[in-house]
Amino acid sequence: MSSSNSNKMSRRDFLKLAGTTAGAMAYLTACGGGGGGGGAAGPDLTSGNTIPLDDLIAAAKKEGQLTTIALPHDWANYGEIIETFKTKYGLTVNELNPDAGSADELAAIEANKDSKGPQAPDVIDVGVGHTKNAMAKGLLGKYKVSTWDSIEMKDPDGYWWAEYYGALAFEVSKPAIENTPQDWEDLLKPEYKGKVAMAGDVLKSNQSVMTVYAAGLSRSGGDKTKAAEMGLQFWKEVNDAGNFIPVIADQGKIAQGETPLVIEWDYLALANRDALGGNPEIEIVVPKTGVIAGPYAGGISAYAPHPYAARLWWEFVMSDEGQLLYLKGYAHPIRFNDMAKRGVIPADLAAKLPPAESYANATFLTVDELQEATTYITENWRKVVYGE
Amino acid sequence: MGLIDNKLTAQPKGDAPTARPLTKKSAALNWLPLAPFFLFALLFLFLPSVSIFVRSFEAPDGGFTFDNIIALFTVRDFINAYKTSLTISVVTALGGAVFGFLLAHAVVLGGLPKGLRTFMTTFSGVASYFAGVALAFSFFATMGIAGVVTRWIESLSGVDIHQQGFTIYTITGLSIVYMYFQFPLMVLIMAPALDGLRREWNEACANLGGTSWHYWRYIAFPILLPSLLGTAILLFGNAFGAYATAYAFSGSFINLVPILIGAQMQGDVLFNPGLGNALALGMIFIMGICMLGYISLQRKAARWLR
Repeated sequence: MSSSNSNKMSRRDFLKLAGTTAGAMAYLTACGGGGGGGGAAGPDLTSGNTIPLDDLIAAAKKEGQLTTIALPHDWANYGEIIETFKTKYGLTVNELNPDAGSADELAAIEANKDSKGPQAPDVIDVGVGHTKNAMAKGLLGKYKVSTWDSIEMKDPDGYWWAEYYGALAFEVSKPAIENTPQDWEDLLKPEYKGKVAMAGDVLKSNQSVMTVYAAGLSRSGGDKTKAAEMGLQFWKEVNDAGNFIPVIADQGKIAQGETPLVIEWDYLALANRDALGGNPEIEIVVPKTGVIAGPYAGGISAYAPHPYAARLWWEFVMSDEGQLLYLKGYAHPIRFNDMAKRGVIPADLAAKLPPAESYANATFLTVDELQEATTYITENWRKVVYGE
Repeated sequence: MGLIDNKLTAQPKGDAPTARPLTKKSAALNWLPLAPFFLFALLFLFLPSVSIFVRSFEAPDGGFTFDNIIALFTVRDFINAYKTSLTISVVTALGGAVFGFLLAHAVVLGGLPKGLRTFMTTFSGVASYFAGVALAFSFFATMGIAGVVTRWIESLSGVDIHQQGFTIYTITGLSIVYMYFQFPLMVLIMAPALDGLRREWNEACANLGGTSWHYWRYIAFPILLPSLLGTAILLFGNAFGAYATAYAFSGSFINLVPILIGAQMQGDVLFNPGLGNALALGMIFIMGICMLGYISLQRKAARWLR
């Protein structure tokens, strides 16, 4: 693993990168190394085509078990997702290191290539940026779930697909801010003097890099090529106006009032709102323009010991039922727009979230676009914003 | 060392032959208490320094490169970071030294009630180690936008100082935060040194017709100078290497070298440990120069001792 991927990223650095990589990847024999305990007579695993659910359930039940990795129970509602899966299909789930990072997940596949033992993960859930590396190393198998068409971000061949994402939102502490801003340009208004903060460092956190980028995307009218540059210009203006406070906002500083207007991933903001329990009251708004999505990607190990259980897992997670469980944990399911259109999102769940229209035009970046923007923004941040 | 020496050689008095092997053994015993120190210095000072040096030449892919070292002198952000770090360290070291000295002087020699001294030294002992997240937060909580003092001023005068352009999130603000642990440290170290000034010296000076100026210029100051210099350099290093306080205070929005190192070593955006190590090497180099400067000054200052 190259050093750039071996840094200790917690599972919570949601949304590393985004991407649809075509690229030259080693063509895999995606046969799951012989199919493990599935027996020789199971449905075809090499084509990646959807397996009829009944056949899949039967084959998975024969395997009897699924091995997951890096799924904390309080993260995106994985606790409930795993429990529901277990009871629904009667499989046991062996959960490896819940706090592992994306790089650790890939390392676990690599280290257990020749092992069918309990340490070999069947399924992974990684920052989208890691998919490029995983495919290049031939660590992923192919599969297209039955809901494939409504997945908005995916590898065309079925090596990975996004399962859920977050969007950047304004988290506003109500007593301190009278008028909630609705779009990026609002942040320049004099009434927000000394009130606007980011939830991380531009040089250290992807979230803040995206905060710069999203503002630029709003200004450029959606033109990705100009977004990084215009984003820096925007933040220079926020800083010059005295609106930007260079403090890293967290739940404590939001509660105390030091950072009354924070730009943060929506699921973090929503979790803060619940944790603070109305003291202070928090309003969460997704800006009208410049809506940036940070997705997470799912995949199946090319060496999965339980290849059918792995595919059944994804059929479940990517179904309406599984996707709604993500939403319950405030992670936006990737099939959100499809489900919203069909009206299958329960009203009480929707009421806790910013309106569905806010997410309709969320922008997803490819791995390359993201890397380019990150380099540009981190290299020019000080020069442009502080004039150093 | 001297204590152990006396004890061991004094024991078998009058029995020369048996005393011999004991003194020989005592040489090894004398060194023994230093073993933990040398072990620590080796593990936590020497080996890390070597590692920093070696890894400064490491490219992101693990190969050898001079790029990191070259970057220290060519990338504007890095040059600026060194400038800012040096400025803040020099300013707070000097500020801490001057104010700390005056405070220590007032408490020790100022003829104030005795209880005050106990209070001040206890306070200084606590404050000099009060740093990091707790210190940063206490400044938010008092002087910040929603701070107690800010709100208090507003309720008294109706003026929100932050709306008037006041902010603590600047280099000046951070310097004030640093001062909070800088000058108590000075007090802590200078108080015993001031205690060492004997009353008789002042009296002797007065008897010879010297004024207070003469006493301080020719007697007290030269005696104190080595400790003053030593403490000033300690304060400099204290501020130069401070990371937790600065990071908790303002993230990477104030451009300091330790902050940049942090971004290179553990961020999920930039990740180039080689460059982080090179930045650290630059800091070690600057501290090295300071130490050399200190040693030569110290020699001059302490010449009268020999």
